[in-house]
Amino acid sequence: MSALKPGEVNLGTTIMAVQFDGGVVVGADSRTTTGAYIANRVTDKLTKIHDRIYCCRSGSAADTQAVADIVQYHMQMYTAQHGEAPTVKVAASLFQEICYQNKNNLSAGIIVAGWDERDGASVYNIPLGGSLHREPFAIGGSGSTYIYGYCDKVFRPDLSRDECIEFVKNSVSLAMTRDGSSGGVVRLAVITKDGVERQFVPGDQLPEQYVG
Amino acid sequence: MAPSMESTTGFKFDNVRRNQLLGDKGYKVPTATKTGTTIVGLIFRDGVILGADTRATAGPIVADKNCEKIHYLAPNMYCCGAGTAADTEFTTNMISSQLALHSLSTGREARVVTAMTMLKQYLFKYQGHIGAALVLGGYDVGGPHLFTIYPHGSTDKLPYVTMGSGSLAAMSVFESRWRQGMSREEGIELVKDAIEAGIFNDMGSGSNVDVCVITKGNTEYLRNYARPNERVEKEQSYKFPAGTTEFIVPRPAGVAAGEESTAMDTSA
Amino acid sequence: MTSIGTGYDLSVSTYSPDGRIFQVEYAQKAVDNSGTAIGLRVKDGVVLAVEKIKHSRLLVPESNRRIMTAAKHVGIVSAGWMSDTRHLVKRAREESRNYHDTYKRDVPAKILAERMGMYKQVYTLYSAVRPFGVGTIMASYDADGPQLYMVEPSGQYFGYHGCAAGKGKQVAKTEIEKLKLSEMTVREAIKEAARIIYSAHDETKDKLFELELSWVCEESGRKHQRVPKELIEEAIQYAERALDEDDDEMDDDEE
Repeated sequence: MSALKPGEVNLGTTIMAVQFDGGVVVGADSRTTTGAYIANRVTDKLTKIHDRIYCCRSGSAADTQAVADIVQYHMQMYTAQHGEAPTVKVAASLFQEICYQNKNNLSAGIIVAGWDERDGASVYNIPLGGSLHREPFAIGGSGSTYIYGYCDKVFRPDLSRDECIEFVKNSVSLAMTRDGSSGGVVRLAVITKDGVERQFVPGDQLPEQYVG
Repeated sequence: MAPSMESTTGFKFDNVRRNQLLGDKGYKVPTATKTGTTIVGLIFRDGVILGADTRATAGPIVADKNCEKIHYLAPNMYCCGAGTAADTEFTTNMISSQLALHSLSTGREARVVTAMTMLKQYLFKYQGHIGAALVLGGYDVGGPHLFTIYPHGSTDKLPYVTMGSGSLAAMSVFESRWRQGMSREEGIELVKDAIEAGIFNDMGSGSNVDVCVITKGNTEYLRNYARPNERVEKEQSYKFPAGTTEFIVPRPAGVAAGEESTAMDTSA
Repeated sequence: MTSIGTGYDLSVSTYSPDGRIFQVEYAQKAVDNSGTAIGLRVKDGVVLAVEKIKHSRLLVPESNRRIMTAAKHVGIVSAGWMSDTRHLVKRAREESRNYHDTYKRDVPAKILAERMGMYKQVYTLYSAVRPFGVGTIMASYDADGPQLYMVEPSGQYFGYHGCAAGKGKQVAKTEIEKLKLSEMTVREAIKEAARIIYSAHDETKDKLFELELSWVCEESGRKHQRVPKELIEEAIQYAERALDEDDDEMDDDEE
């Protein structure tokens, strides 16, 4: 909710997650900024919360890292106490609780996605106010405003795994070209029953598009 | 119990509001000493190298021409500090003490991520009011590690990093010359050049180059590795010849005349 | 109990030389004096039943219920002190809500049993407190299906197919063991539960009693509810008929 404090590190960002039958694809750009300066051009905004649960972070780097660390800790405790992995819903609920209870002190927009034994693949979006939405796909960060129309046009619930990867690559790179706060490379993770596969698209190998 | 980010030992930031109020009413807000700085770090073939300039400033005045900005954390870990001088000094000191106790109780050498986590959680708790911007480097069981830590508590893990007001100048050197698997000599040279870029192009940075090389089981602190601003013999003499200043009445300097002086008894 | 009278049973913070804590065992005695309570876990749900002994004819029927609901999917029946029970059920409700607040899902029976066990265990540590004189039987239908747990005054807890506590627990347990619980439905289990409570009832000691029945099952929408009246009546008829047949058999034996 709160605006960025002076000198705070910002994840002016494009993040995204898409659900398909049997898994999810999460993606993000790699730019972190302090004002006009790019503090990190190869940032990994896809953060592991549990074996098959990832989150995409947008907003303040400090806030989202702190929240992700707390949830990560709680998920480890959950696993120890329950003797089984937490569901994506449980992880997302915890994110929501923290984001909502501390909404006045945080600027964090988080997408939680993953696969679990109970609900299969799922994507949850937790925007700035701390609400929680389950969606078949979610986009977030400053860059997402440029690609709502594109995503709504291209997305179909029956997208295959490979189609989802292409969808994320295309959407994120479109946002990166129009949003000054997004850029660098595209990072991806495909999460299925079998595990997590990380992918990486260098800045010079992004999908081609009109650049004037 | 619902999960909370608040620790049981709490801090209040009432004085922040007080200062804001003071400022709004036109009073002068108390300010802390900040150092314009160039600090850098890089990973090379066998470990990590840290570097820093040695200028400390208080506003427009150079407060210390040869200060130390590479702080000790543990035998295998050092940390460069930029920002509020007192904050970087006290923060690194406190974490150093906690790390010492930690490795004493675990019986192991402390890991760099441990120090990084302690630092980020400490800084996050103070919501950026502790103005410490750090470059943390070290070598542990997992090999060399290098992090930047911002005052608000965010961290980055990169193979080469710069921070402080001179970070842009230093980064331009790294971006054009850093490559994977550099030798020790190449690494030190690059760090020196990056710091010198800060010293010569950033007003907040100056004086000498400190370097610290951390490799497996060995740390070398090269204090004033380069001194590019050594004072040299002046090309011209500024001594004034006798008689430059005119005078009317000569008065001999030294012991006042007329007083009797007693010779000291020096006999055995 | 060999060490009785030697002073080792005065405090819960003192072990006897052979490693026992008598106050905890006495608390178990308080459970054993209670009207019989049982739980049956079958394939599509769990049934709780209790023999509520009435000390007066003037009590309003169906008042002072001994089966309570801790969360919408968790039922608790206790053997032992009712005042302690009400305190523990309050605690169970707080734990359930607390879990839900954190994880936004129904508390699994295993976790609730563990937390109740931990709560009871604390009362076996300090001399200033008395252990709970309650055996807590918890029935639940959670994400993993029907669950049945019993937490003892010591804090120990176990998961069961069927369990019993109170005066008639021996009779009840031998009866439960004869049942093929994993092949049964709750509708069948209700009848058997009623029969077991009736057969465990000791007419010579307690004249008046009331049968209480509840279930958590597919049919109740995985919610803990009282069993519908007509089913209870049907079950009681079944129980009484079974008892009569038993008596007849016994008469036959005597002939």
